[in-house]
Amino acid sequence: MNSESEVMPGDSSIEPLLEVRNLHMQFPIRRGAFRRTVGFVKAVNDVSFHIRQGETLSLVGESGCGKTTTGRCIVRVYEPTSGQILYKAEEQERIDLAELDNRDLRPFRREIRMIFQDPFSSLNPRLSILQIVGESLKVNRVASGSELEDRVASLLRRVGLRPEYIRRYPHAFSGGERQRIGIARALALNPRLIVADEAVSALDVSVQAQILNLLQDLQEELNLTYLFIAHDLSVVEHISHRVAVMYVGKIVELATTEDLFTNPLHPYTEALLSAVPKPDPRLRHKGVRIRLEGEVADPSNPPSGCYFHPRCPYAEDRCLHEEPAVREIENDRWVACHFAEELDLRGFEAIG
Amino acid sequence: MQPTHTRLDDPAKTDSQTLLDVKDLKTHFFTDEGVVKAVDGVNLSLKRGETLCVVGESGCGKSVTARSILRIVPNPGQIVSGEINFQQRDGEAIDLARMNPKGREIRKIRGGEISMIFQEPMSSLSPVHTIGSQIMEAILLHLPVSRQEARKRAVSMLDLVGIPRPSEQLDAYSFELSGGMRQRAMIAIALACEPQLLIADEPTTALDVTTQANILDLIRDLQQDSGMAVLFITHDLGVVAEIADEVVVMYLGRDVESGDVDAIFHDAKHPYTRALLQSIPRYDSRENRRLYSIKGTVPHPFARPHGCPFHPRCDDFIAERCNSIDPPRHKLSQSHSVRCLLYSAADEAPPKEDALS
Ligand SMILES: Nc1ncnc2c1ncn2[C@@H]1O[C@H](COP(=O)(O)OP(=O)(O)OP(=O)(O)O)[C@@H](O)[C@H]1O
Ligand SMILES: Nc1ncnc2c1ncn2[C@@H]1O[C@H](COP(=O)(O)OP(=O)(O)OP(=O)(O)O)[C@@H](O)[C@H]1O
Ligand code: SF4
Ligand SMILES: [Mg+2]
Ligand SMILES: [Mg+2]
Repeated sequence: MNSESEVMPGDSSIEPLLEVRNLHMQFPIRRGAFRRTVGFVKAVNDVSFHIRQGETLSLVGESGCGKTTTGRCIVRVYEPTSGQILYKAEEQERIDLAELDNRDLRPFRREIRMIFQDPFSSLNPRLSILQIVGESLKVNRVASGSELEDRVASLLRRVGLRPEYIRRYPHAFSGGERQRIGIARALALNPRLIVADEAVSALDVSVQAQILNLLQDLQEELNLTYLFIAHDLSVVEHISHRVAVMYVGKIVELATTEDLFTNPLHPYTEALLSAVPKPDPRLRHKGVRIRLEGEVADPSNPPSGCYFHPRCPYAEDRCLHEEPAVREIENDRWVACHFAEELDLRGFEAIG
Repeated sequence: MQPTHTRLDDPAKTDSQTLLDVKDLKTHFFTDEGVVKAVDGVNLSLKRGETLCVVGESGCGKSVTARSILRIVPNPGQIVSGEINFQQRDGEAIDLARMNPKGREIRKIRGGEISMIFQEPMSSLSPVHTIGSQIMEAILLHLPVSRQEARKRAVSMLDLVGIPRPSEQLDAYSFELSGGMRQRAMIAIALACEPQLLIADEPTTALDVTTQANILDLIRDLQQDSGMAVLFITHDLGVVAEIADEVVVMYLGRDVESGDVDAIFHDAKHPYTRALLQSIPRYDSRENRRLYSIKGTVPHPFARPHGCPFHPRCDDFIAERCNSIDPPRHKLSQSHSVRCLLYSAADEAPPKEDALS
């Protein structure tokens, strides 16, 4: 263990394990019979953040706002259009993953793993669970034969699957079982950074609790670092040290979990927190959900000024014309809203 | 709601309000290694216009139940017994369990009278056809409209589910969409033909809470307009609390507790239901960083426990009884029933379920 593990993950004096700087990712829009390019989707639009070793940073935001794309750039499934992805490997200088080609990326692919959002399409249907989970162990010559089988069986047990399933194929599993296969695969090689994209969304709350406890145990034991992409805000509240909120390809707010949930500074964050369904039927239709009316923003043709202005209840004239910069309002507390200081926004209400 | 009829009392009659009535359904997978009893005695019933939520442990048979209703259980799975009574639009009642899964009749029902939003959108959307052509195909198959009208309807459906630039996205392929956009495209396909029954299997897992709220509103509006009933499978107990009229809790292939939504959240009886509710991550649970989770794991797939299927993991386990007696369904009130030996008096013990009231 290095000395970094002694420090609190929130401590800003540690050099980050990962720093993303001005990341951009565009996709061409192809339409018509000849699939001509008619425009570009700016899926990730100037995103910057960092994650310290041993920390969990969550990424939340509207469907289609670029969370998965950000994750896929970091694990270099995608080659970013521009920007830097600075990664600090053990006993090495920081290196920009965005610049590396496939061959140079290989050693990092062991350390940085992704749990994919759509478990089914990320599991090869022709491979058994033993092959899927054991693949990386085999390729990297970590284990083989019966030792490999034991390792895979113990990984399956840790994610709550029966080891008897080891020779089954992906199609014979339920949605949540497949999701856990993806988790076991990501954990197989003792990674340092895990990009978990909706990793527990298909699990019931009890199995989900088991997995979240496992991720936290591993973080404590091995100083693992997570970029945790999720829609379930109670899970996010529980697991993260800090949270970044995205809207149409940009980060609009980034703060410690407590600050963000009790005292949000961006109107979109407030709307998000107000819409969390409460697990109590008596609270139905009670409470004050902020409905986001108006056009869903389109990343190929975003609105002028602040991207959120057409749906923002607090928008003023300035918001239509002037894009708010991401500003550091307090130490390590970022927000992109002109009126962040003036607005008095509601946090997440405690339940029961 | 007026619970004037209860299915448990008069199993012979299904009243006209009951749209779907599943009785003691068993769907097993006959694999080379052994028989997986994925669904092993499920009961549920759903009235017109009503929302029934199904919750339960990952792998407990929710999706297989849903697929059984539509008769699309993949090989080597088979419905081995039970009834799936469905009231067709023309008023005629049929038992879907007895239909030929490849026949014309069931194909008319699928997508027309009953449509389904699948759990993993990527595996059910075609990668080689555009989103638009998939919605239009569904519309043309079930509604008497022209291609042009179908196209118009497809655009308006995409718009309704909140996909930006709907007329342009008609030409997009599924890989070009984000997870939540795919899910909404599936929802658009499922709703396009105004089904009587919508089966939604984890339809909002890929959606942020504000988009989710809009989709739930949309489904509620359609329910009010057309009397569509919804069978909603979800792990999100917040969503259940928000939308359910009735709730069925499943464990290891069967319903262990069912009741109206208030009874399940505020008067849960089955130890599994209670443990499940206790596992919800609460706000401020960070203080106590470990979340509660039910001890133990699911049993060996080929060896279901004797007696109550939950007994190896149950805190209230009664020695001698729970591991030997299969708990009958016990009615606690008009709208609340539970399968657990804590609630049936000693002399009331099985073997016949019908004897209970
Ligand atoms: N391969 C691709 N080709 C074209 N457009 C793409 C591609 N992948 C993503 N996009 C577009 O980029 C935007 C961001 O997508 P992304 O998958 O990153 O969203 P997300 O935040 O993960 O959303 P969700 O919560 O729904 O999963 C979307 O508008 C999507 O349509
Ligand atoms: N083709 C198959 N062969 C063998 N077993 C199968 C097959 N398909 C499903 N199963 C098993 O049947 C059980 C029920 O699966 P089902 O998909 O209905 O679960 P579920 O309740 O929907 O779970 P989840 O919440 O994880 O989606 C699971 O344990 C699964 O492993
Ligand atoms: S900048 Fe204006 S439009 Fe944007 S969030 Fe703040 S108040 Fe709303
Ligand atoms: Mg995504
Ligand atoms: Mg399922």
